[in-house]
This record gives sequence, C-alpha cells and structure tokens, in this order.
Amino acid sequence: MADKTRITIIGGGVGGYPAAIRAARMGAEVTLIEKDALGGTCLNWGCIPTKALLQSANVIQTMKESGTFGIKCKGYEVDFGAVMARKNTVVAQLTRGVGALLKAKKVKIIQGTASFTDAKTLQIRESGENVQGDAILIASGSVPGRIPIEGIDGPDVMDSNQVLAMKTLPKSVVVIGGGVIGVEFAQFLIAMGTEVTIIEMLPGLVPGVDKEIATILQKQLSAAGVKVVTSAAVKGIAHKKTENTVTYTIGDKTETITAEKVFLTVGRKPDFSLLNIDKVGIKHEKGAIVVNEFMETNVPGIYAAGDVVGGIMLAHLASAEGECAVRNILGHREVMNYKAVPSCIYTTPEVASVGLTEERAKERGEIQVGRFPLRGNGKALVLNETEGMVKVISDKKIGEVLGVHIIGPHATDMIAEAVLGMMMEMTAEELAGAIHPHPTVSEAIMEAAMVISGGAIHMP
Amino acid sequence: MPVEIVMPKLGLTMTEGLIVEWRKKEGDPVTKGDILFVLETEKVTYEVEAPEDGTIGKILVKEQETVPVGALVAYLLKPGESAVAITAAPAAAPRAEAASPAPAAASAAAAAPAAPAGGRVKATPLAKKLAKEYGIDLAAVGGTGPGGRILREDVEKAKASGIKAPAAAAPAAAAPAAEEKLVPFTGMRRTIAKKMLQSKLEAAQTYMSNTVDASNLQRYREALLPFVEKKYGVRLTITDLMMKVTGAALREHPVVNTRWTEKGVLYLPEVHMGMAMALDEGLIVPVIKSINAKSLGQIAVDRTALIKKGKTNSFLPDDIKGSTFTLSAMGMFGIEQFTAIINQPENAILGVAAIIDKPVVEKGQIVIRPMMNVNLSYDHRTIDGAEAGKFMQTLKAFIEDPVMILG
Repeated sequence: MADKTRITIIGGGVGGYPAAIRAARMGAEVTLIEKDALGGTCLNWGCIPTKALLQSANVIQTMKESGTFGIKCKGYEVDFGAVMARKNTVVAQLTRGVGALLKAKKVKIIQGTASFTDAKTLQIRESGENVQGDAILIASGSVPGRIPIEGIDGPDVMDSNQVLAMKTLPKSVVVIGGGVIGVEFAQFLIAMGTEVTIIEMLPGLVPGVDKEIATILQKQLSAAGVKVVTSAAVKGIAHKKTENTVTYTIGDKTETITAEKVFLTVGRKPDFSLLNIDKVGIKHEKGAIVVNEFMETNVPGIYAAGDVVGGIMLAHLASAEGECAVRNILGHREVMNYKAVPSCIYTTPEVASVGLTEERAKERGEIQVGRFPLRGNGKALVLNETEGMVKVISDKKIGEVLGVHIIGPHATDMIAEAVLGMMMEMTAEELAGAIHPHPTVSEAIMEAAMVISGGAIHMP
Repeated sequence: MPVEIVMPKLGLTMTEGLIVEWRKKEGDPVTKGDILFVLETEKVTYEVEAPEDGTIGKILVKEQETVPVGALVAYLLKPGESAVAITAAPAAAPRAEAASPAPAAASAAAAAPAAPAGGRVKATPLAKKLAKEYGIDLAAVGGTGPGGRILREDVEKAKASGIKAPAAAAPAAAAPAAEEKLVPFTGMRRTIAKKMLQSKLEAAQTYMSNTVDASNLQRYREALLPFVEKKYGVRLTITDLMMKVTGAALREHPVVNTRWTEKGVLYLPEVHMGMAMALDEGLIVPVIKSINAKSLGQIAVDRTALIKKGKTNSFLPDDIKGSTFTLSAMGMFGIEQFTAIINQPENAILGVAAIIDKPVVEKGQIVIRPMMNVNLSYDHRTIDGAEAGKFMQTLKAFIEDPVMILG
C-alpha cells in the first residue's frame, strides 16, 4: 500500500472539519489544528447559538399570538439565564458531535495555535511541536469586524462573541450595523423585551439583499418595535456609568441615542494573524488570503477555504470550499462552483435567497420577475404568517432562473429547492411544473414561477 | 513501462470489485498465470492471474477495498525494470475513491457526446432550450456536467465551434454561406448510418490491440508473388495473406466466428470473410466465402473480382451477404492504428493497419522490424476478454510465422 497523503488542516470550524472528514474518507492521513473550540465560529459564536436564542424568541412570539389560535395564555416570564443555558447545551452537544465524528475518522486533533515554519511544516506555538504534511489547508476563519470611532473600546461595547456570552438581559441596546448579524440580534432582543435601535450607514437594512425583500423585512422589524435609523454615520460612543450615548450624523444633522449596551455588528474580517503566512510567502490582498479556482494559494500545496479567503462569509460556503480544496489536494481537478450559494436571515419573518437580486439581474439583461404574496397561500394563512412573498427572477429569453428570494415562514428551509434547481440549470418552467406538496408554503415558489411561465393559479 | 494491473471487468453488469486477498506481496516475483489477487463481485469470486512474468512493484489497493472496474490496483515490473519506473504513478488514495469509473477501453475523451442521436440525451433544461434556440443538435454536444450532463456552457461552446442541428432538421435558410452545400442522403449512406449506429448502440463493443512483426508475412508474399501471378494472373497482397491467417485463427477460436441472435450465440461452421471496401458512395462489405477452403491464390482471385464488381457497381446480392467475420485494412493510407465498428450481426471485426518499420527490442538489442498493428473490436456480450486475448495470441503467432497455418 502506498503511503497515505498527509494533510494538515488549520482550523476546526466549518471550513476545516468537514474537509478533514472528507479527506479522511478519501484515504488521507489528516491532522487538524484548532486553537479554541471545534466547530469554530459557526457552532460556537455564530450560526448555531444565535439560532438557538432566536428559537427562544419564537416561543415568545407564539405565546403572544396564542389568542389568535383560541388559546389563552396568561403571561410569561423570561428566564434569561435559562435561555442562555439552553443555547449552551445545544452548542455543547454539536461540538461534542463534531469531535466524535473526527475521532471516528481517525483525524488527529491538536489543540493549539499553528504557525508556519516552512511550506510543509507548522509549529504549534504552545507546545513547540512540529507538524509536517504533504499539503496544508488554511481554514482559520474570521473575527468580528471593528470600526475606528471614539469610544469603541468602551466597557459596554460588545461584539457578537461577547453578546453571546452575556449573563443578563440589557434593558436597552443600540445595534451598530444593520446587516444580517445586527438584525438577528435585534429580533432576539425585541422579543425578549429589550428596547432596540439599529443604526445602519446605508439607506436600508440588510444591504445586498433584494431591495423589495429588504424593505418588507425592515417594515416587519419596525412593526415589532425595533427603531431603525438608516443613512446614519456613527461618530462616537460616550460611556457614563450605566449609560452609553451613541452620536451619529444623518446628512448635516447630528443626533444621539442612549442605551445600556452597544452591540457592534459591522461584519467580520478574515483572520490569519497568528499563522505567520508571510514567512512562506502566501499571497493576501485586502486582508484575505488569495486562492485560485481550485482553492489553492500561490504556494503550491497550500490551500485555503472559508472566511479566511474573504468574499461571501457563510458556513455552508466554507464547507463546500474546504471539501473542494481537499479533493483537489487528493488528485481531483475540481473548480469551486459559486453558481448557487444561498443566504439566510433568521428573523421573523425569515429571509432566504439565492442568485441575483432584481437590481443586479436587471444590470445584466432583460429579465422577468414572478412575485407571489403569501396572502394567497393557504398554509401561510393557517400559520397566521401571511406577511411575505416569493420572488422568482428569470432571464427573459430562455427563462433561466437567475435568482429566487423568499421572505416568510420556513424561507430558510425552502430555499434549498431553488439552490438545487439553479445548480441543475432549471428554467422557470421546471420550477412551475414541479408538483409541490399541498398545503405548504413552498407552493408559493411554484406560483411565483408560474407568473413567469404562464400565470399563477391563486392570484387574480 | 511497468504493466498496469487493473480491476478487470468480469461481466457486463460489473462496475466495481472488492479485493478479498492479495496472494502476492510487493517485491514478489511472479510468472505469467500466477494468481495475483482474489476479487469478489456481487456475483462471483475470481482469481486474477499475472498477465506476464515480472515482479510486483507496487500494490495500490488494499485488501477489503472496493474499486471501480478499470481502476489501477497494482504495478507489475517487467524483468529488468526497477521500482523507480513507477514513482511517477499517482498516489493510491485518490485513485481508490476516484468515483469516476474509467472502464479500460472507454476512457477516450472527457467530453464525449452525451448520447447518440435518437438515444436519451442528458442535458439541463437550460441547455435544451438554448440548443433549440441556436438550432444545435444536442446529440453532437459533449456534456461536462455531472454524469456527462450537457450544461449551458457546453452548448455555448458547441455554438462557437459551429455544431448545428441535423441537416434534415435545419431550415434551408440557415445555410446561406456560398461554399456550403447540402448533399442529400443516398440510400447507401442511410444504410451505413443505420448499421453503424445500431452496432454502436447494441453491441458491447470493446477493443484489443496488438502490434506484430510482419517480417515473415512480407517475406512469404514476396516468395509467392510470382507464383500466384503466373498461376492465377493476379497480384497477391498483404491483405490476402491477412485474410488467410485470420481465417485460420478463427478456426482455432470458434467463439469469435459467431453471430448474436435473439435466442443465443450462433456458432458458424465456416468462415466467410467480409472485406471492408471503400466505394465512392461509401462503405460496402463483399464476402469471400469459405476462406479456409481456399488457397492464397484463389483468395487473391476472389478479392480482385469483388473489387472489380465494386468499381462497376455490379455486385450480386450474394456477393455482399453472409460474412461471419470482417477484416478492414487501412494499410494503403499509412494508418498506424484504428478501431473498426463491428459489422453486425457478426461479433467481431479486425482492423489491420499499415506495416511500418519500427525499432523493437529483440534479445536485448534494438533492431528495426516491419511492425503492423492489428486491432480487434469485439462484442463483449458474446466474447469475453480472455477469449479475445487467446484469439489475438493465435493471430499474432500466425502472422509472425505463417507456416504455422499449415499445421
């Protein structure tokens, strides 16, 4: 038997651990180096814990609306400690699971901080141990972003990691940054009874999301009680005892808002600060490691995947990139496919999309847009969640589906259909022609596609 | 070059095999016929033999591992070769899980057309619509997507390279260029098209090729040439000799001289040698009957007569039917190697290439020999690889020493 290919993976997050398992399944000898917790940002400080918290928020939502369903519910009490504890239980179970999976595949796990000594060797800072491999995959992830304003280092200014570790529920919060992370925190806090203000620099929340969808989301958040300030540039944060005053400008006007805590959710930035990558000459630009279409860096045998390569920083994309990288290490020649990368927001209602927004699609050529409001969907009415819509965007001539955008219940689960379809190069006709189960919210996707291919049934 | 030992295909439905046990270790000397390993499929357990003498250089697939048919499992070093010869081989790991099974004979082009015309074409909905829009025949487009599926990109590339819809379907207005001309199908062209495609669709065609020393073949032809010319008034050709020795080899291996029928494999008592012939209008296969009962001179006479009939378009129906095996010669075009399509319902066809002087190793010395490639296309439904191999072995022996057919 030939010697196994030895692969060293830096980072046990969703860029690294699925890649480790894939490589091991393919017969490689894999070493995984993690400096903190297996599962990385996704499992410990991102996707999973925030969704666990939002599920607690959903329970409150259900109780608030119970009367509509004929169930009288006499008040409720938030036990914030228990809310956080449940989140921690979910996280612990998942990270344990990742550990068990890696062990089952005989992946060697080293707890420590990796640092390059040469293109084939990493040194563990804590132990001094040298780890050699035939190839290295850097999946070191990202850290919460920061902005250079006065008072940013104040005691009540928290990034997402700190928010997820807080012990008590603040009475009021200013969220700086109205992107995906910001609106999800706002959604959670408002349900918990905290006063929330989001300050966003751009004219609307969740920039990058299809405008029509983002507008509906913003309206829903406002209706839930979140104060939304847009086109506002934060100038500084002044700390005074138990209060923090955030100063911002809108145009020429300067305004302030005061709250107990300030959450900083201004995106994330790739992190390779501890790896010493300049020692081996790995190219990086604008703070991210540069890779080619095979996920390989400029140094042969060194690959990178996930948040550390910048671009779209999403868990599922990191996993796909990591797996692509190890397949290429092990002799395949596979180009990373970015054709259909879904993105999700776990607000109420949920938002999910894949492909081009209407704005971007229009720039490319003539399009058709099929919209279907959830008011016309039976299941949405049953759920009492009719605020929302599905929007299918297709090329006018051939009908290629260019984008699908959903806002409404189960949006984040339903988008998978559109992802598969786009991967398989479907046109609106196939989406409309596929028999969708009744009664489900997913019928709205079919109806939106029907608008393009010949007219919806449940819409005048 | 070390010999590649691959997972053999034991039956039509076999796609992968499990290596149960290695009977040899790396470094073990083996002689041809030694059992190398035992494999197991869903249906059978089978012992795989060494194809030739040598030493086991490297074992790439461990016991209890399953690999696709055609996957490389080991290297056999020929006498005198060292393990250095295989360092260029790819690492075993990716080979082992490489999901794309590459059956030995069919690993030709990466983007082969997804399906023949009339068959089911695998294409994405978008690719189908674009093809219609562009007037492109998808059957002629190679698919690069999962499972050979034709993608948008493939259609765009096909458009750029000028592939069009079948002529019959293309609107006349679509061909405005002055130098293009539409030649309507003749009946013969339609027959050829139908037969060729049908053969490719129906038969499990696979191929086996050998390069043989034609020194003696040439020598005997030269020796017999004046005799045949004097006695029969025709010129003896290499093709005549090839038909003669092939007929003799077929007699030794009756399974190659068979027909595929609905009810079973029909073994034919006589060899009627089909002789692929190019006419201006297309291909035709006249037949030399009972070739094993004929002298070389008589074969040359028959061949000359058939060629004359071909040129004057005066074949009688009997001249072009009843062949049990076909030989196609391309020597006149200097072709080094080619594969022919089985002339159904026959089960095999031999492609005979040009005789070309080549350096070969003989007793450790490099010498120049007139070498000729013979390529057998055979229907694996009827003829297993081992049977084809034995036939080719005999054929090689007869070509290299034609005197043997007297024995």
